[in-house]
Amino acid sequence: MRRGLIAWSKAELPEAALAARVARAQVAMGQAGLAALLCYSNNTRPAAASYLCGFVPYWSEGVMLLPREGSPYLVVALSKRVATWIEATSRVARVISTGRFGAEAAKAIAAAGGGTVGVADLDNFPAGIASDMRGAGATLADATALFAELRAAADPAELALGARAAAIAHAALARISGAEADTGAAIAAVEDHARVSGAEECYVSAAPDLAHDRRLLRIEGRVALGASYAIRATVAYKGTWVRLARTLVRDPARADLPRKAAERFAAAVASLPDTAGFAGMTSWLIEGCRIAQPLEPLAGARLATPHALEPGRLVTVQATLEIDGVPIVLAAPALIGAAGAPAALLVPPVF
Amino acid sequence: MLRDERRRRLADAMSEARIDALVVYGNAWQGDYLRYASDFGILEGSGIAIVTADGRAELFLDSATEIERAEGETSGLALNLAPDLAHAVAKHLARLGNRRIAAAPQRFLPSYLADPGRGFALEDGTALFDRLLMHKVAAEHDALRRAAAIADEAYLVFREAAQPGRRQYELTAAVEAFLRRKGCPDNFMILGSGGKDVLGMTPPSDRLVAAGDLVTTELTPAIEGYYAQICRTLVVGRANDAQRRAHALYLEALEAGIAAVRPGATAADVARAENDVFRKHGFGDYVTDQYTRVRGHGLGLFADSKPHILEDVHTNLVPGMAIVVHPNTYHPEVGYMVLGDSVLVTETGAEVLTRTPRELFETGV
Repeated sequence: MRRGLIAWSKAELPEAALAARVARAQVAMGQAGLAALLCYSNNTRPAAASYLCGFVPYWSEGVMLLPREGSPYLVVALSKRVATWIEATSRVARVISTGRFGAEAAKAIAAAGGGTVGVADLDNFPAGIASDMRGAGATLADATALFAELRAAADPAELALGARAAAIAHAALARISGAEADTGAAIAAVEDHARVSGAEECYVSAAPDLAHDRRLLRIEGRVALGASYAIRATVAYKGTWVRLARTLVRDPARADLPRKAAERFAAAVASLPDTAGFAGMTSWLIEGCRIAQPLEPLAGARLATPHALEPGRLVTVQATLEIDGVPIVLAAPALIGAAGAPAALLVPPVF
Repeated sequence: MLRDERRRRLADAMSEARIDALVVYGNAWQGDYLRYASDFGILEGSGIAIVTADGRAELFLDSATEIERAEGETSGLALNLAPDLAHAVAKHLARLGNRRIAAAPQRFLPSYLADPGRGFALEDGTALFDRLLMHKVAAEHDALRRAAAIADEAYLVFREAAQPGRRQYELTAAVEAFLRRKGCPDNFMILGSGGKDVLGMTPPSDRLVAAGDLVTTELTPAIEGYYAQICRTLVVGRANDAQRRAHALYLEALEAGIAAVRPGATAADVARAENDVFRKHGFGDYVTDQYTRVRGHGLGLFADSKPHILEDVHTNLVPGMAIVVHPNTYHPEVGYMVLGDSVLVTETGAEVLTRTPRELFETGV
């Protein structure tokens, strides 16, 4: 459950930016004949609602409802006592707190005149809430494609928040001195910096000994760090998520390998949306936010059906490549170039 | 091994209920059912495990990052990266034909799977699963004891961090860094600071801790996925008489609640014991849902498990259950105050797991 700083900074996410997103959504809703747009939110699927109103639940769940005209509002299972907190962290007209929020949401829609409710990611909408809403008379339709198109290209506010998240993750990973004895010390250094810098969330994973296992795991207990190891920081900042990974090679004679790998990585990123540059790498993955999951897999070595990497989309790229027989794990956020511009990393990889 | 014991208990429960397959959903908020069935502590996206009566389990995850983690952190499972989770699971279930399939927690299942047009019917297996989650075995108690011990240590870090001039989120950062340094991968915590203006606890804000503030927190670290919780209140500076009187009320209520924990009692009995103390002292209005949510709750693979400790929850307490008893609520003279300890239900009463003194601590003095 989320325990970082959840706050709405009007300087970083201006009301005008949220209003512009809402206005674009309402135009699309009008064209699709929807009376309302519904975005379900919990702390693992917060991104659709937060895109339109900034709301991020630290736990529990709720729905954001956007009528064809006017501001979005929230119907949530969180208690009435935190309604003030929700109002302070979100741009919404009102907050309705109730246990059976599906039925309450349906009632609110009916009171506003009814009509078809478009649900972003309807197939994954929790069955119990869908059932409660339908039971209360709501007509639900799939608005996944509508929503995905709306938020494909990052607007200036999302880019700025992504850049801030990337800067936090970069500085946090740079806190690893290389002298740490075990994963506990390295992970604590990264997480402490990220949270003190105002991260909304920080997940740190590690591959403690790349010679034995290249997978980045959530470590329980304290594991000794090997001759080469990788640490990945997944950082959320005011609703925008990025990942950065850093590989450290202890042998001074080989300490330059991560830099060499970073050059190849940056070259492959620059050619996106063409992914041919990753072909020689051991593994690669591109993630980004389409609907509600902050970092959804979009393309990668293991993905049979990739999504389009639209111009202007904010993504996180991860790759593992071997340099002189040493596996190097890298990750950094990038912007897919718009209007013929090449893709570019938001921050350089840490090495 | 705990993982194997859980799978055996699950298989036994399915066999007893004559269920051929169980569909188990999870995400990082409601991850307990999935962790129990698959031993995977999900962090991002959603996951579904399909457990069949022969004990085999298959895990579907929609995050590519998570599937890599599952490959390294679990064993004895077939793993599937399924970005289109609902459709991938539906395809798999369709192959099970007309066998008896249940789902848990059914309410959270993707709506696509619950559609009657899918060609399979999913019964509600949530109650079956809830019994397994609530009635814990010795290895689970051991994990909870270790989680409680680290909660005590983390509260000490919190006390030291809660100094005037620090922002709330810096307190959280200090606790989280401590836990990661100790190798504890997860924690749930909310907090509050201030006076009568503070109605409850939330995630940290950028509010500065100030002299005279009551600083509340519930810390809930997890060991092997099992969460134990401690709730304490401190004062920045010297506690005043009103704060001391208020704390004495919460202490009396906590002690009454813990004294009510025993086999045969219900969650309602524990809640009533706590609330009666408030009513006796003329603060009965402050045990309603206008000022408080629950008077405690279950502990385990979810930080807010069943049973909820409320006067209308009549779940029987049985040996092996773990709960936190916390008469947390608003006090009209001083603001929101918390005090709570994790306990195990034993054959004779309660074993208190958290050991931090039940004091109104003073810091920055």
